[in-house]
Amino acid sequence: MMGMSRAGLAERWTLFAGALLSVTLGVALVQSSLLLLITAALLDPPAGASAAERMEFADGTAAAVSMLGVVLGGAVFLAGFIISSTFAFTVDQRRRDLALLRLVGGSRGQLRRLLLGEAVTLGALGAMLGVPAGLAVMRLQGWLMREFGFVPQSFAGEWRQWILGVSFGTGILLAVAGVLVAARRASRVRPLEALRETGPAARVMTWSRALIGLIFLGGALALMIVAPFGGPAGGMAMAMNVPIPAAVAVVAFAPLLVPLIARLVPFRAPGGLARANLSDARRRSASVAAPLIVLVALVVGNVGAGASFTTSGIHQLATQTHADLVVESTGPPGPTNPPSPSTGTPSADTPGAASFSDIPGVASVSVETRVPAEVTTGSGEDRETETISLLVIDPVAYAKTHDDSASLAGLNGREVAAGPGGDVPGAGGTVRLTVPDRDLGDLPVVAGVPATMTGGANLLVPPGLLSAAELKDAPTQSFVTLTKDADAAATRASLARFGTVTTLDDRLRADAEAANSTNEKIMLIVLGLGGLYALIGVINSIVIGAATRRREFAEARVTGMTRGQVVRSALLEAYAITVSALILGGVASAATFIAVLSTTKSVTGTGTLDLPWTQIGAVTAIALVVTTATTLITSLSATRPQPVTQLRAA
Amino acid sequence: MTTMTMTGAAVALQGISRVYGRGPAAVRAVDDVTLQFPRGGWTAVMGPSGSGKSTLLHCAAGLERVDSGRVLIGDTDITAAGDSQLTSLRRTRIGFVFQSFNLIGSLTAEQNVALPLRLAGRRPSRAEVRATLDTVGLADRARHKPRELSGGQQQRVAIARAMVTRPEVLFADEPTGALDSRAARTVLDLLRAMADAGQSIVMVTHDPGAAARADSVVFLGDGRVVDQLTGASTRAVADRLATWER
Ligand SMILES: Nc1ncnc2c1ncn2[C@@H]1O[C@H](COP(=O)(O)OP(=O)(O)OP(=O)(O)O)[C@@H](O)[C@H]1O
Ligand SMILES: [Mg+2]
Repeated sequence: MMGMSRAGLAERWTLFAGALLSVTLGVALVQSSLLLLITAALLDPPAGASAAERMEFADGTAAAVSMLGVVLGGAVFLAGFIISSTFAFTVDQRRRDLALLRLVGGSRGQLRRLLLGEAVTLGALGAMLGVPAGLAVMRLQGWLMREFGFVPQSFAGEWRQWILGVSFGTGILLAVAGVLVAARRASRVRPLEALRETGPAARVMTWSRALIGLIFLGGALALMIVAPFGGPAGGMAMAMNVPIPAAVAVVAFAPLLVPLIARLVPFRAPGGLARANLSDARRRSASVAAPLIVLVALVVGNVGAGASFTTSGIHQLATQTHADLVVESTGPPGPTNPPSPSTGTPSADTPGAASFSDIPGVASVSVETRVPAEVTTGSGEDRETETISLLVIDPVAYAKTHDDSASLAGLNGREVAAGPGGDVPGAGGTVRLTVPDRDLGDLPVVAGVPATMTGGANLLVPPGLLSAAELKDAPTQSFVTLTKDADAAATRASLARFGTVTTLDDRLRADAEAANSTNEKIMLIVLGLGGLYALIGVINSIVIGAATRRREFAEARVTGMTRGQVVRSALLEAYAITVSALILGGVASAATFIAVLSTTKSVTGTGTLDLPWTQIGAVTAIALVVTTATTLITSLSATRPQPVTQLRAA
Repeated sequence: MTTMTMTGAAVALQGISRVYGRGPAAVRAVDDVTLQFPRGGWTAVMGPSGSGKSTLLHCAAGLERVDSGRVLIGDTDITAAGDSQLTSLRRTRIGFVFQSFNLIGSLTAEQNVALPLRLAGRRPSRAEVRATLDTVGLADRARHKPRELSGGQQQRVAIARAMVTRPEVLFADEPTGALDSRAARTVLDLLRAMADAGQSIVMVTHDPGAAARADSVVFLGDGRVVDQLTGASTRAVADRLATWER
């Protein structure tokens, strides 16, 4: 049986090369993401860092870890999806061979064992190549993370011995899982199918396929429905998770949908062959379309959602902030930043605001100083410490500058309030707070502002809570509102003494640009390699599909088609499938956009959709170029030999 | 293996029918056929295209289920046999040869011939496989792949593959249909020699010359047995066929 398998490997090498490639890259991607995640999670702050630096470091690491968590999740999903669909496709493509084995006495069990043996071999082989490939991927991903400033320059993914077990396990498990369903179906192939020249009219939509489709459709719908009730962070996370189940649902119904849509794509084909093939080889069409649908849904859906949320957040910030100028300084701005007389007992006055009041033209100022802090929840075993960002504010001035914060006005003494960043208990709760070098004990949360799209500080505290010394190195933004008769230029010049002055509009625009650029960098890290992997999955399916078409091409040629006509017909078929896949990927993205619209509307009052036209255009162009080029190459190579020699082989 | 009575037929069909499709579009491919294919005899099945010859053969070999009637191979009733029983039947008691050879392209002639034995869990010796190839006159082509063989040679490899398990019955559907007259004659000589050595053969053919080499001929028309001949010449077979094809 294994000899048979080995001979099969040698003969249908493109089929197996494709399957092997899918395992190798999948294992590489999963391994790299996992190692980077573990490295980031165990990252220690540099020696000699101050308590404040340690907290900042922990905050940065937490962000990197959660980003890598998303990268790992995406890698696992893509690996599972691409490996299993590639393997299932290779099995489907060999139905006739398998029927022949049944005809000469092969049992169902033998067929299953043959296919599973193949999967184990290819899975292990793929993992063997995937481990070193994963190290290269890790170097690339680590470099991107450093380059984009998500991790310190010293960050580099670390090798771990146990990853070998994970990588081989991943490769073999996913390959076997992919083959399992297909092998069950293939082992039920009837021996008679070996005698039919043309492929069997196999049922393309099975009940299990429809069931999987409905389950994932339900998942996508649930996320879409619940997202607007999840608050900004939860809603964003849910909306960003719509593309995967939506794409899987669409892919499950692809054998029905792709031919249906492809039929509507206008083109003129020689002899009507391309059109007939579209409805006849449904499984092949669907297998080529599947990775493309996932690619489009992931890239367009996620990039669109990310951009929309960023735009919505900036918009919300602009409408809710009322000031003319922003002064940025290190520590609250003051003439000299005098040291507080007694560090331990905070004074009740606001050092920053007081120093502005002398300047003519200034109506009011909200000085906001950002300090890292830790919030501890639970006790004993369940004790958990989370790094948050804390904003020292002047409650009255803050309420004047920011909408929805009237409840803060009375904030006093040891009282704190929930900030726009969320993540802390609301009014009525208590938080156990630690600022660098000092445990502040349990503090009552007495008020709160609604969480916003852009987030921000998690906790707002009154000025007296921290000493001037604790604030002197902290980044501070002062929102200045001018009097009606102010001489803007003169006031601005006077303010320059305290720090960098910008207009609020310029500041917001710069923030928007920074947020967009961060968003793009995150998307590149999260989707870049995954997208590339999906694209390779597309190429793979076309090559595998072509491997079994030599005979079909040869028959078309002996019927009177020229080689050029055969190639052109294959190209048109690929074009129709690509367009259908783009449309279906667009449908899955649209599901995401519905969740984005409803979430932004519920959080900010305005539904926002910022479509990433550049990426949509790029994905469309790349998809068309790649499918066309691959089909051209495979069909040219499949039609190179004289048709007669191909028809004569059994 | 089941014990056989010497007088029993190799294959017996008792009132079998096979209907494709439903309602007004239904096709009665085989319509209430009762037939016995004698042990150690070579029976040819003839009839116009679409008369149900292949369907009859498939039903007799357990490749296609029957809608009514009973099918017996030897004295084993396979009408309601399960998949594993049919699999072991294919491994040990019946062999197939088809018009389109159906060899596995990635395997050499010798590997193709050894395949049924290996599927049955045996490790055939090279000598055993070569001996079988030798009986079809292809010992020197053992290492060739199907695409490196002529059509007649491929068909002889397929016959060797069908014979290697020493089956009780050999089913052949137009085994000479894709061959020129010389290659066809080689294959028919081979089948004649096998039948003379006691092999039961059921063969569907369009060629009166081929049918005349068999011991008896069954004529089908619209899924029914319309005539039978024994020991007829090519001429007699052709004449009878012409009557039924009119
Ligand atoms: N799978 C099938 N589904 C529906 N109809 C079928 C199927 N197989 C055969 N038929 C029909 O059954 C009838 C008998 O077919 P069969 O293949 O047995 O004919 P045949 O005598 O072998 O013809 P030929 O000499 O052309 O090979 C035909 O009308 C055919 O259309
Ligand atoms: Mg036939």
